[in-house]
Amino acid sequence: MENVIRAGAIRVSAYLCLNDDREPTVIIHSLRARRARITGLAASATAVAVLVAACGGTGTGSSSAPKQFSYLTNVENTTVKTGLGTLANGACKAQNQTLPLNVDTVPQTSLDQKLQLLAGQNALPVQFAAGNAPALTDQLYKSGKIADLETKLRDLGVYDQIEPAAISTIKALYGGKMEVLPYEYNIEGIFYNKKVFNEHGLSVPSTWDALVSDAATLQSAGVQPFAASGQQGWPITRLVSGYLYRSLGPDAMKDVADGKAKLTDPQYVEAAAKVAELGKNGYFGKGVGSIDYDTAFNQFLTGKAAMFYMGSWALTNIDDPKQDQVGAENIGFMPFPAVPDGKGSIDQYPSNVGLAMTLGAKTFDSRVGAWVKCITQNYGSVALKDQGSISGFKVNTPVQDPNSITTQVRKTIGASTQNVLWFEALFSTKATNVSQTNAASLVTGSMSPEQFMQTVQRALSGS
Amino acid sequence: MHRVLGDRRAIVTLIGPALLVYSLVMLVPMVWSLGYSFTKGNTIDGFTGNGLHNFQRLFSDTAAHKALWFSLKYGVAVTVGQVLAGYLLALLYIFFLKRASAVIRTLVFFPVIMPTVAVGLLFQKFFQVAPQTGPMNSLLSTVGVGSVDWFGSPGKAFWVLVIMDIWRSMGFYAVLLFAGLVDIPDEVLESARLDGASGLRLVRHIVLPLSFPVLMSALIFSINGTLKVFDSIVALTNGGPGNATTPLTLYMFQTSFTYSDYGYGSTIALLLTVVCLLVTLAIFRVSRRDLTEG
Amino acid sequence: MALDSPPMMKASGSARRPGTTRALWRRRHPGRIWVKVVIGLLLVVEVYPLLWMFLTSLKSNSDYLNKSTWSLPTSWEWGNYSEAWTTGHIGLYVRNSLLATAPALLLIIVLGTAAGFALQIMVWKGRGLMLIIFLAGIMVPSQMILLPLFTVYFRAGLSGTLWPLILTYTGTGLPLTVFMMATYYRAVPRELFEAATIDGAGILRSFWSISIPMVRNAILTVGLVQFFFIWNDLLIALTFTNNQDLRTIQVGLLNFTGDFGATQYGPLFAAICINVIGTLVIYLFLNQKVMKGLTGGAVKG
Repeated sequence: MENVIRAGAIRVSAYLCLNDDREPTVIIHSLRARRARITGLAASATAVAVLVAACGGTGTGSSSAPKQFSYLTNVENTTVKTGLGTLANGACKAQNQTLPLNVDTVPQTSLDQKLQLLAGQNALPVQFAAGNAPALTDQLYKSGKIADLETKLRDLGVYDQIEPAAISTIKALYGGKMEVLPYEYNIEGIFYNKKVFNEHGLSVPSTWDALVSDAATLQSAGVQPFAASGQQGWPITRLVSGYLYRSLGPDAMKDVADGKAKLTDPQYVEAAAKVAELGKNGYFGKGVGSIDYDTAFNQFLTGKAAMFYMGSWALTNIDDPKQDQVGAENIGFMPFPAVPDGKGSIDQYPSNVGLAMTLGAKTFDSRVGAWVKCITQNYGSVALKDQGSISGFKVNTPVQDPNSITTQVRKTIGASTQNVLWFEALFSTKATNVSQTNAASLVTGSMSPEQFMQTVQRALSGS
Repeated sequence: MHRVLGDRRAIVTLIGPALLVYSLVMLVPMVWSLGYSFTKGNTIDGFTGNGLHNFQRLFSDTAAHKALWFSLKYGVAVTVGQVLAGYLLALLYIFFLKRASAVIRTLVFFPVIMPTVAVGLLFQKFFQVAPQTGPMNSLLSTVGVGSVDWFGSPGKAFWVLVIMDIWRSMGFYAVLLFAGLVDIPDEVLESARLDGASGLRLVRHIVLPLSFPVLMSALIFSINGTLKVFDSIVALTNGGPGNATTPLTLYMFQTSFTYSDYGYGSTIALLLTVVCLLVTLAIFRVSRRDLTEG
Repeated sequence: MALDSPPMMKASGSARRPGTTRALWRRRHPGRIWVKVVIGLLLVVEVYPLLWMFLTSLKSNSDYLNKSTWSLPTSWEWGNYSEAWTTGHIGLYVRNSLLATAPALLLIIVLGTAAGFALQIMVWKGRGLMLIIFLAGIMVPSQMILLPLFTVYFRAGLSGTLWPLILTYTGTGLPLTVFMMATYYRAVPRELFEAATIDGAGILRSFWSISIPMVRNAILTVGLVQFFFIWNDLLIALTFTNNQDLRTIQVGLLNFTGDFGATQYGPLFAAICINVIGTLVIYLFLNQKVMKGLTGGAVKG
């Protein structure tokens, strides 16, 4: 009882404090009034002290004029960081002088926590990676923490610097709004080792059945058909959604989000079953659940696995001779194969803009605007030229593609008419996590396809 | 009589600063956070009152029950393992290795120093099945058992975690318990020996009772640490496969920060605190005469 | 009542003839084979990972990823160490770790010892309750105090300094320290301080000049324990450092990512080795002191 009262008092005050909508004195008063009841703990006095410090302190929280072009990103993404560094010393030198670029990184796994903490203090950086799932990005946008870039870019007169395909991808993923700058523009598909395919007399499979039979041929010849990171999970669930948008059409995942279909419907479970079967046949190799992203990538780039489902961001690794021992010229890219009698078409690719890079709404002033303008005009060519990375910005200075596969991917992007959604694109953060952590169990057989889809559907409906 | 030792000003001077820092850093935030367990929401959207709904939800949340069960299972296994291994090591140091003891002690202590990141990578490598066969699986293959996917099934992943944490911390407990054993007077051991006690009987009837208090505090300390395990699990399995190795701490962390449900996260934290309290009280009961204050 | 019960840990060992019984024990059981087997096994289990860590620090990334766990490096990449030092900024991170750990450790020991003294030696009403209040801190999961603390530090303008780390480490380290010090103080007879006061010394002075030397070993043991807790902390450091220049070594180890987003294992392990060897030296130094004190057992009441 006593505890409840005490906790209640502090909660109320903490709540006021966080929202800053009442006089701090109210808080102190309300606490003092209850002080008689808060017995046995010297904490009451100190609680007041803390709250005074907390509420009345010299916080720099809601200051709107940024001192730096601060940028918070995940450690794992080095491409954008490097690209912006190049711009700061080159095309955007003037902007950098008025508002210097300052990059900070956190491991991707603790990005969400950092954002929650900073958002609570209105202390989000000028530009930041807004969470691991589009759901969190959207939540930040809806609470007014992220700038509406459509308005901002139109005001700056650079909206036309964004590729239309990138705009439609962003709008499809982020609730119809332009919340994100497309520092990357990726399509996804299956990279394959041309040499290995030739050695075993295989041609590029255009249907699911052909893919499965190719995998069987490779497996019996002692070549691991697929490399995939079960630790990350998403490289496996992407195969499930791949099967879904080929069999049920481009709206397969949207229907689930809109409640028109359930993952436990038989045609959805069928997709999970098809992927589970690949696992059952051992096509992902041993111990897929503990294979991490680096290891899976390495298996493919050292020729130990013949196929690798990945996004086109992989081109930067393929272009790096230190990592890529197969050679860029020996690697091909194919779309996810068609499913017989399916409603989807093979020229529809899942696309994304990488981890969502957004701009804070409160810090977006004219100097930030100048930076953004400069980025939209120059980043596209710099990233492509220096790092072979394809972005959603227009490439204004012609750049020679580093290798044929980059050309192929760029052409594919240009010709792509409709994009499709990946498995977790419209999931809540919880369902995203549940889906990705259970993906390995699906292919190792410790979860049946029905169980897997049920578990994910439950997480979806629950939140 | 105790006039000097009852000097109020001295007491406040001595205990005041510690109490102040402790209250500010732990008690106030704890109570503050507990307040959130009556709310729904997060730092982005703000908090709204939610009554006892979070507590009702806790009763029907199977994931939370699973995490609680895992925490308990893990806490008991690792506590028993690390205190037992530490105690055996301490006995080894004190009775068998007088001169070499310092070297061995240091070597056994070394895993304590190793950063969690490194320990995680080490155990991933040692127990891996692909792309290379790790040492553990090579060993099993030579014995004829064949390779095992250690991280693929909940049961096996649990044991790798338990082994990892015992390996990491047994040196620490060995040093802690060693300090307690060193203090057993030689006369006591000697006279017991002259009475005909030796080997296991000496340990059971003389050494164990004399070191019982220090063993109990090691136990309390260990169970409270292992029930709140976080780092090692994040480093090795990150709660997987599925959520099979997710303890309450990780579930709370995910709920609060990844799923943006801070109110419910605080409720889970409260559950964990209560569990720690109950377990500690249970241990206190067992060792009442030595540890509780009258 | 129970305060007068037998000491739980004798910080001031009673008079002792070192080594007699233990020597006899050994003579009676000369080198049993199982002891040797156990020690041999122990050495393998402890030394091999150490060796693995060191060898890995000299491997290239492709060796780490493509060769078996126990293979030797194909080329010995000593450059990993200079890379860890320069591009990994290990020097800076170690400095930050020291700057956060040292003040916190000092505060923990001074405040914790004083509180332990007040709780065990001084006589006053409510100290049982106070001890339990401190003990409660051991049970609180540290994940739950992060958000309130972050808010407070931010509003107080402390973010962007190492103060959040120092304060948080001190606060979270105190419960265990107070609890342990109170236990250690049981071995010190209260009469000692009453006698000292008759000689004209104030109780605060007696605390400092009489009690501290008597629990010196305990302080070193507790200090050692706390040092490793703080040094190895990741969660608190990760939460409260929002600036590259403030990263501690453990946070720094999470940032070994190369140009294309792939982990650079060689330099990572080089950094780990630098860290481990550094802390091992500190441990050896402290341990020698602790053990010298323990086996010397010299301080008498």
